[in-house]
Amino acid sequence: MIGDPGLNDFSVEANGLTKYFGDYKAVDHVSLAVPTGSIYGVLGPNGAGKTTSLRMTLGIIDPDEGTSRLFGGQRPQAVRHRIGYLPEERGLYPGMKAREAIAFMGALRGLDWSEGRRRAAGFMTELGLERVIDTKIRKMSKGMAQMIQLIGSIVHAPDLIVLDEPFSGLDPVNQERLEMLVRRERDRGATILFSTHVMAHAERLCDRIAIIARSARRFEGTVDEARALLPMQVRYTPRTAGDPATVAANLPAGAELRGDAWHFAIQDADVEPLLARITASGHGVTGLSISRPALHDAFVHIVRQVDAGFDADATEDAVEEASA
Amino acid sequence: MTPFIRSMFVVARRDFLAIVATPTFLLFLLAPLFMVAMGLAGGVGASQLADSARGTGRIVVIADAAEVDALRAADHRLRDAFKRGDAPPPLEFRIAGKDAPDPLAVTREKGTDTYAVMSGALESPRIVERNAEGGSGRYLALLANQVLRDRAAGDVAPVKPRFESIQRGGTSIAVQQSLGFGAVFVIFLLTLLLAGQTVSSLAEEKGNKVIEILAAAVPLESVFLGKLLGFLGVAILFIAFWIAVAMGGGLIAAILSDPGMLTAADGASKAAAALASTPATGWPFFLGIGFVYFILSFLLLGAVFLGVGAQAGTVREIQMLSLPITIFQVGMFSLSTAAATAPDSGLATFAQIFPFSSPLAMAARAATDDAKAVHLLALGWQAIWVALVIFLSVRLFRAGVLSGGGNWKFWRRGAAAAANAATTAADRH
Repeated sequence: MIGDPGLNDFSVEANGLTKYFGDYKAVDHVSLAVPTGSIYGVLGPNGAGKTTSLRMTLGIIDPDEGTSRLFGGQRPQAVRHRIGYLPEERGLYPGMKAREAIAFMGALRGLDWSEGRRRAAGFMTELGLERVIDTKIRKMSKGMAQMIQLIGSIVHAPDLIVLDEPFSGLDPVNQERLEMLVRRERDRGATILFSTHVMAHAERLCDRIAIIARSARRFEGTVDEARALLPMQVRYTPRTAGDPATVAANLPAGAELRGDAWHFAIQDADVEPLLARITASGHGVTGLSISRPALHDAFVHIVRQVDAGFDADATEDAVEEASA
Repeated sequence: MTPFIRSMFVVARRDFLAIVATPTFLLFLLAPLFMVAMGLAGGVGASQLADSARGTGRIVVIADAAEVDALRAADHRLRDAFKRGDAPPPLEFRIAGKDAPDPLAVTREKGTDTYAVMSGALESPRIVERNAEGGSGRYLALLANQVLRDRAAGDVAPVKPRFESIQRGGTSIAVQQSLGFGAVFVIFLLTLLLAGQTVSSLAEEKGNKVIEILAAAVPLESVFLGKLLGFLGVAILFIAFWIAVAMGGGLIAAILSDPGMLTAADGASKAAAALASTPATGWPFFLGIGFVYFILSFLLLGAVFLGVGAQAGTVREIQMLSLPITIFQVGMFSLSTAAATAPDSGLATFAQIFPFSSPLAMAARAATDDAKAVHLLALGWQAIWVALVIFLSVRLFRAGVLSGGGNWKFWRRGAAAAANAATTAADRH
């Protein structure tokens, strides 16, 4: 069922998804295009509209505007059996045994019960959960139950796996196991779409990301492209501690001395001229690091920009109202 | 098997096992025992009360000693015409004369209820009675009349009647109406016991957040139908269990009381005699269609309760919803009972057409009307309503619970789209 990934081969194509809850616009024309066989992250602060966007993408709720098509133009409802979904609000029947719960979720997607039980045992053994295979969900820890639900969402070997905040509530060991599982499913050929507000996971896993803030998509691209939105960060420590003013004269405006090191940002094109100036200045180099900012910084930068825009609009509206 | 049907059975299987494979199901299964025990206790009390009332009542005749034998003989003959329980209270005599008590004083004697007292000449007796509508006074008048007729006719040879029972086609309309009422009652009782449970079934999914998994994996229609199917399975198991218990109990009782009865030819004829009260459509059809109507009644009311209950978020809300639901059920029962006792009335026709009373009323109709084709029409009509109720319930559920009101709140969608278009146009300018 899994197609060959290609440049124009998208497992998810959502266009202009919009959703109102009452008068509140929870999602505002969000579009997503997830290449087949990729790991795609939907990032955003709490309440940005990630979950609603995913629900509309999967056809769980209807958008007020926009469309969602999966696997080359099919309605989400028509290809449910090819999707695995871990909702943000975890839920299992407390009275069911773990193996049965997984088999049940597989059976909902068309997997044979006995095959579901067999695969459940395999997955659980692999993830170190073999001792609770026949334990009822109500007797498990929250993290264990979450892993059971995760297995339930992939037990039928779906072509598209959608995970809503999959890492929340897991300890670091289980987070690592989950990352391993995600990569393995991608290697199997599945497309992974997941939402998170923890940048470290996205940075390690995602081929592409979309950042949603204030109900709308604010960025789409690779992790590197997101990081490139900010200038590179430089940390320079001179060999000779001369007059700071003479050192600063060779550095870009805004350079800041913290301890014995200077911190400043530069554009990609300014790296070589900077090195030439530092060498020529005679202050020498004890330490020099030039690095891209982390995804975390890019994310915060984007979200703050959006918030600032909203605040400015709100102020403008307030002034207009007051003057009126 | 289509994916829709398959997912429906997956949901049904889960629900069925979740209910049946628990110790509390045993309590539920044995619930009728408690009902029977309560019924027996109430019945015994009522019976004792009735017996006690019968034992203390009487009618009295104050007559000349010479007339007492004639009156007693006439009373004996007349009582033969009454069934046990319908007969007048026991007759007592007081001898007329100087010391004869006043009739009103007799009615005031303690220790017993005196319903009527007759005194004076038989040609023009004075009858004092407690209740003019009760019939005791008229019975005493009939008694006097009978004695006078006997006296006038002289000795007449006693009548020697030959009684024959009606073997075929003899079931009265009243008995058929009683069968119809019985069908309405049984279906209502089973539906009340079993369909009402669906009210709380979706609350479990909402409480433990499984509903989003279900909604993402399968059509909600199949979730609703699967749940109904699961509960229907429980209902059928419940009925099968009690039929087996009743048959087994009956068999054991028969063997213990008369082991030869099972093989004796007259045993079969006794069984046939027991079934002599035949519904208009015949027993096999009546029982079969009654079962099918039970299923449709269950599905219809179950779908309503499921849809209404799906809107509840807490146990308290479910409890509050239960009252109007039970009242609604009782309303359907009353309507169908009225239809069963007056099968040719407009009310009966209404009850047979109104979707939620239709299964009950049509089951009653099968007892009094031998037309069979009309039941096919009714089954189709009820099936359409099952589908319609589930469709509406799902819409309501999606709009209310999953907040997917795109189709439901069409006016809001239209307004939002218009506002959006206006904003876009303004931006262009």
